[in-house]
Amino acid sequence: MTAANDSDELEALFDSIAADIPATPPTPAKQDNSGDSDELEALFDSVATDYKPPVAAAAAPEVDAVAVASDAGWPAQESVFNRIGHMMRELHSTLHELGYDKLIEETVSALPDAKDRLAYVANLTEQAACRVLNATDVANPLVEGMENSAKALGQRWDKMFANQLSVDEFKQLAAETRAFLKEDMPRKTQETRAQLTEIMMAQDFQDLTGQVIKKIVVLAQNLESGLVNVLIEVMPETKRTPEVTDLMNGPVVNAEGRSDVVVNQQQVDDLLDSLGF
Amino acid sequence: MAADPKMRFLVVDDFSTMRRIVRNLLKELGFTNVDEAEDGAIALQKLQAGGFEFVVTDWNMPNMDGLTLLQTIRSTPNLKHLPVLMITAEAKKENIIAAAQAGASGYIVKPFTAGTLSEKLNKIFEKMGQA
Repeated sequence: MTAANDSDELEALFDSIAADIPATPPTPAKQDNSGDSDELEALFDSVATDYKPPVAAAAAPEVDAVAVASDAGWPAQESVFNRIGHMMRELHSTLHELGYDKLIEETVSALPDAKDRLAYVANLTEQAACRVLNATDVANPLVEGMENSAKALGQRWDKMFANQLSVDEFKQLAAETRAFLKEDMPRKTQETRAQLTEIMMAQDFQDLTGQVIKKIVVLAQNLESGLVNVLIEVMPETKRTPEVTDLMNGPVVNAEGRSDVVVNQQQVDDLLDSLGF
Repeated sequence: MAADPKMRFLVVDDFSTMRRIVRNLLKELGFTNVDEAEDGAIALQKLQAGGFEFVVTDWNMPNMDGLTLLQTIRSTPNLKHLPVLMITAEAKKENIIAAAQAGASGYIVKPFTAGTLSEKLNKIFEKMGQA
């Protein structure tokens, strides 16, 4: 692997990460900076573009990049970019020292593929959800129609047994009941069954997404095992930022061994009860 | 207390599928007067326009999240009486406590069932009847 090639790929990786940053939801704590994200993105891009991995010992370009941040006049952000700049620099030299170059190379080539795969999963699951909801939209009126027809006929049969129908009315009722049983009912059950089949078939995404997700999990595991330790090494204890989106973590994927999360509605209710809500 | 079937609901979630599911469940429970909003900011606009009697909201949404929406509703004089039911994947205890402290009327964790939604709605209607 040539050093130049390595730098290009690293830059592409960093750019792709930088480009994704503004997609993160704003933190509730910062309510007055809604206009900042574009500026932040621009700044971040400029830092990412200016940044040259220190293949040689020269550190001048990074200093320039940091200077861009301080010139822009955001003291809080400046320290963050400073930190990221230092991190990248230290990370890169550490990677060289530890021989992680190969891992990075593999990861860089795997990431765009992983993004495509995840987009594919999002697509398939959305399609499946739509198919199922459409099928229930079609099936519900069918079932409702059968229920209403059956109830109406039943009420008229009640009248018949109470001797409240004339002979003509009885003939009419018998004919209608026959038509309902022979035509209306089977047609509607068939149509409903078609929708049930549609719902069943819509689950076929599970197989496809399962395979794709397994591949991404493997990629993530490799990435994690290789990079986490290095990241921890290069990031001093005092500089670690607290998790900003503490209350927006999404679904708990694995609750095993955790006491800070609830696993079912009963536990939610118990917790609220215990607090007097 | 039997709830008014004409009660007007606002369902707030950034995923259209989830909005559709909640809307369908509400329809099954007899509530057909349902409008949707895809985040807290849009929800607040719709609420300010008036006419809503019940809010069902997700937590994690772009622009304005559900907790901020709840806090804003509770601090807005003409909205603060609105019942707000949170339906969210956030399952940390501190989330539930934060929601309760902010004045949530109920808290449901995803995935949830039609039965749970019905039970929580009835509980809230009961409380509203007592108030």
